[in-house]
Amino acid sequence: MNDTWTPRIVVFQCQYSLYCEADQKWMDTQLPPHIKLIKVPCTGRISPLFVLNAIQGGADGILVSGCQPEKCHFKEGNLGARRQLDEFRRFLTYLGMEEERIRFAWIDLSERGRIQQELADLEETIRTIGPIRRLVTRAIPVGEKL
Amino acid sequence: MNQLTFAIRQEAARILEENVVDVVIGFEVGTLPLKAQPAFITRKEEAEKLVYNGFCQNNLAAYLTRRPKEERIGIICRGCESRAVRALVIEHQHDRDKLYLIGVPCTGIIDWRKIEREVGENTLQAVEEGDEVIVTTRDGEHRFQRVDVLHDSCKRCLHPNPVGADIVLGDPLPEGDPERAWAPVLEFEALPPEERYAYFVQEAERCIRCYACREACPMCYCTECFVDHTTPRWAESMITPSGTQAWHIIRAFHQTGRCVSCGACERACPMDIKMTYLVDKLSYDMVQQYGFEVGASDEEQPPFAAFTLDDRNRFVR
Ligand code: SF4
Ligand code: SF4
Ligand code: SF4
Repeated sequence: MNDTWTPRIVVFQCQYSLYCEADQKWMDTQLPPHIKLIKVPCTGRISPLFVLNAIQGGADGILVSGCQPEKCHFKEGNLGARRQLDEFRRFLTYLGMEEERIRFAWIDLSERGRIQQELADLEETIRTIGPIRRLVTRAIPVGEKL
Repeated sequence: MNQLTFAIRQEAARILEENVVDVVIGFEVGTLPLKAQPAFITRKEEAEKLVYNGFCQNNLAAYLTRRPKEERIGIICRGCESRAVRALVIEHQHDRDKLYLIGVPCTGIIDWRKIEREVGENTLQAVEEGDEVIVTTRDGEHRFQRVDVLHDSCKRCLHPNPVGADIVLGDPLPEGDPERAWAPVLEFEALPPEERYAYFVQEAERCIRCYACREACPMCYCTECFVDHTTPRWAESMITPSGTQAWHIIRAFHQTGRCVSCGACERACPMDIKMTYLVDKLSYDMVQQYGFEVGASDEEQPPFAAFTLDDRNRFVR
């Protein structure tokens, strides 16, 4: 891949999943421009349609960040959602998408700094597989912001 | 008239006369050969109209959510229809007490397209005789082996026998072969990703967004479907690549752990779009991941609605 290409990344984040204030603050204020943050009230709110919309619109990578199963603020909102999103990724892979484009980070109370690490890992993976080509039907030109 | 038709008429007349139900949903002779049409019988005298054969294309369970809630319904149920009834009851779409299921073990639906491809569009008459389908056109008589002209979903059918029926008419049939049922999914999965995507695009983009597939599906009963939702609009409503692809992906996905593999969506599609390879993949995964099969139990929730902590340690990345 040429060096000038920067992957476009979308993060769907449950607003309760980053217990560490510094991490949340970093997410809210320090994110580089090629990463777009979408906060939701609970993992349960992340409809597969959101993920599909991001992909159709040209996101090269997607990070879904939610709470650990038993730590859901709404008791069990994330349980069905985890299954759905996991299956949705498998389904898009069936249709030809690279599985690595969607990544999950179920973050625990104590995991300070994990979100940055997850984003870095995702970005590295995306750089090796290159820009998204399949399922992008409303693409914006490479290099532009989301 | 075949024996099953006779038995169905008798049973329908009986439950109407004894006031067990308000209406019986079944099939009657359609205006075109090769296609029987749904019938709604409310008086016992009308039960004579009912027929049952391999030309009955619809999944009758699709009507359950489109009838008045308080109605007591008798319904002819093949394997797939009975599984749809179970799924609908679990999803609180119907009171099981208000339903009377007339079960019929099903030998499969005849795919009229397969016949039309052979004989053209001028079919005058079609009848079943044992394992054969005899089609009369202006050019004469054509004979087909039933197995050759079955609908693909019926060829793959795992459970032709009705589950949880109040009465079963006809003899039980052997269960389907899982290997045969899942073969198309596994074959598709074995293709290189670019070929899979190319096939998906080719099929999805022929779609004219008529939503016949949705209307035919027993499990697509939402008062407001996601594609009709305008604010915000989640998927493009035009027949753009983005719109048709989103429709195919999300409609299939909404059927995860709910699809009863009846193939009614495919039969309803005016564009002859093959789409069951989508839902079949999802059904296959539900069996693999959660050991869940629609209709297997009359109380188990589909995996996405189960809200259990069983999979605490899964999907780590
Ligand atoms: S998605 Fe198709 S095969 Fe599945 S239940 Fe609906 S109509 Fe039947
Ligand atoms: S496609 Fe989805 S939203 Fe639309 S009717 Fe079917 S299940 Fe409901
Ligand atoms: S029935 Fe066929 S053409 Fe109509 S919306 Fe469904 S897939 Fe598209």
